[in-house]
Amino acid sequence: MTKLWVRYAVMGLVISIVLLPIYWMVAASFKTNKEITQDATLYPHAPTFDNFTRLFAAKDFGHFLLNSVVVTTVSVLLALIFGSLGAYAIARFRLPFGLDRHIGLSLLVMRIVPPVVILIPVFLFILRLNLIDSWLGLIITYTALNVTYCVWMMESFFREIPVDLEEAAMVDGDSRFGAFRRIVLPMAAPGMVATSIFAIIVTFNEFMFALVLTSTPRAMTMPRGTATLIGRIDTDWASMSAAGVLGALPIVIFAFSVQRHLVRGLTLGAVK
Amino acid sequence: MTAVLFENVEKRFDGGVTALKSLTLEAPEQKFVALLGPSGCGKTTALRILAGLEMPTSGRVLIGGRDVTRLQPRDRDLAMVFQSYALYPHMTIRDNIAYPLWLREVPDAERKAKVEAVAKSLEVEHLLERKPRQLSGGQRQRIALARAIVRDPAAFLMDEPLSNLDARLRLAMRGEIKRLCQRLGTTTIYVTHDQAEAMTMADLVAVMGSGVLQQLAPPEEVYDRPANRFVATFVGNPPMNVLKASVAEGELKVHGRGLAIPPERQAELGAAGVAELGIRPEDIRIVAADAPGAVPGEVYVVEPMGSETFVDVMVGGERLSARAGKSFRAAIGSTVGISFDIADACFFDASGVTVVHRAQNQGGKQ
Repeated sequence: MTKLWVRYAVMGLVISIVLLPIYWMVAASFKTNKEITQDATLYPHAPTFDNFTRLFAAKDFGHFLLNSVVVTTVSVLLALIFGSLGAYAIARFRLPFGLDRHIGLSLLVMRIVPPVVILIPVFLFILRLNLIDSWLGLIITYTALNVTYCVWMMESFFREIPVDLEEAAMVDGDSRFGAFRRIVLPMAAPGMVATSIFAIIVTFNEFMFALVLTSTPRAMTMPRGTATLIGRIDTDWASMSAAGVLGALPIVIFAFSVQRHLVRGLTLGAVK
Repeated sequence: MTAVLFENVEKRFDGGVTALKSLTLEAPEQKFVALLGPSGCGKTTALRILAGLEMPTSGRVLIGGRDVTRLQPRDRDLAMVFQSYALYPHMTIRDNIAYPLWLREVPDAERKAKVEAVAKSLEVEHLLERKPRQLSGGQRQRIALARAIVRDPAAFLMDEPLSNLDARLRLAMRGEIKRLCQRLGTTTIYVTHDQAEAMTMADLVAVMGSGVLQQLAPPEEVYDRPANRFVATFVGNPPMNVLKASVAEGELKVHGRGLAIPPERQAELGAAGVAELGIRPEDIRIVAADAPGAVPGEVYVVEPMGSETFVDVMVGGERLSARAGKSFRAAIGSTVGISFDIADACFFDASGVTVVHRAQNQGGKQ
């Protein structure tokens, strides 16, 4: 009984540490700037939606949200398509010079390299393509960053699918690509969901590349747009909090809706 | 017309392993051919090359006279049953069986009718709406068969389809597959390492060893007239006994004993260059140690099987198996004599090739 009590206490402590900043952000989004900076109340005494309406009416947040959703969706979709094809090739084909064994790891190394290192080259590249401050420039960059991760994740999911199934499909009359599409992909679906969740979260929250590659609300994403609220002399904390809530909302909704697949994906292949 | 033909097919894998060394094998149309051999003999590789799942290093594969060596699996018009059954786990049983038809764009109504007819003939109609994971091993096996026979392919390929079943089910399915293949009359290539399956089911047994076809013949012939020492000792349970032997002065010398050679065999045995003698366990009689013409030995072990008794006897450092009657008993270590008719024996030369077969029309003693 005491043990159980200790366990709940520890869990409660951890959860409150995790949730406190989020609570503070949500609470602040319903306060006025005066209440935040001068009164320091624990909860909004006079809740107001002004912060949210101001974001859309005066601050282009409609644009930012749209940009984020479009850029994230398209780049993650593209990364999943290219990543799955690449991962399948690595998982199934023997490549010359043992490349199939090394490509996966080298792609991961690309992912481990600090983004700052490639920031300038990517900027120059996108500049040369005339794609600064456009959806396409961000989509290309994010797709490239996500493909490495998708290949690495999907490869292990494909390896767990028995090769007999594709061979059976091919003898039954399917092409290799047909067997991939009709037999392998449906079985790899939980893996794809798990992969996409992480890619979506990382892409939606990405700030550094968005900061460098965009300069106007035309292409700015949520994190980049939120940063515009930090002025030279003062910071609009109430709007910042509202923007934070707004930016977190799509990801939270998405995470809840695919939670079932997430758990399945992470434990797939753990037991046979 | 030849249904399936391997022509000098060789397969070397990266890393230098040679799975097949110049395999030439003809499977006649409408025949059930079993590829039999120990693991690693190249039988599965041969089947995969036929299916188009592996490319041969050299040589050609023909199906119905058509060179298919470089064709994709789907262009070969084959149906295959995998050892793992390879049912598509995300599809219902109905969709699994219908898949080959669906890929060939068979109209809906016809597809439905065919799937149901096949399901009925294999007694699996009640499983059609389930998923593979809800089925037992035996049921999955039937579905894999159903998927193969739902259309009318040029040949059936089966890769150890029974090896994942328990012993009783394996026996039952063995008979069913044999009946099924006979009813359909489609050429079947069946890979197995289980000689009982090969002997009971096949019209022709292709015994393979170390990447080479050792013998292609009907089961009785493989058993009675093995082409070489490998086939002789691989087929049969217990396997054929092989003893060092030589022919000199009109006598057969076995472990220092001279056995009289019947006059009708004198000529062929004298000229053959005999190095070894092979004799089936059921052709060995266990007699008293001092019986005339018997070779003495010591009983190594007696294994009563119910219907018969296996007796192992040590003769001059070699262990021989004999089949005795169900009531035979002897103490381990006791001395007995073994005796056999030279007419029942076959003889190998120094390289292991059979130079003299057992005399024909003598189906062993009763």
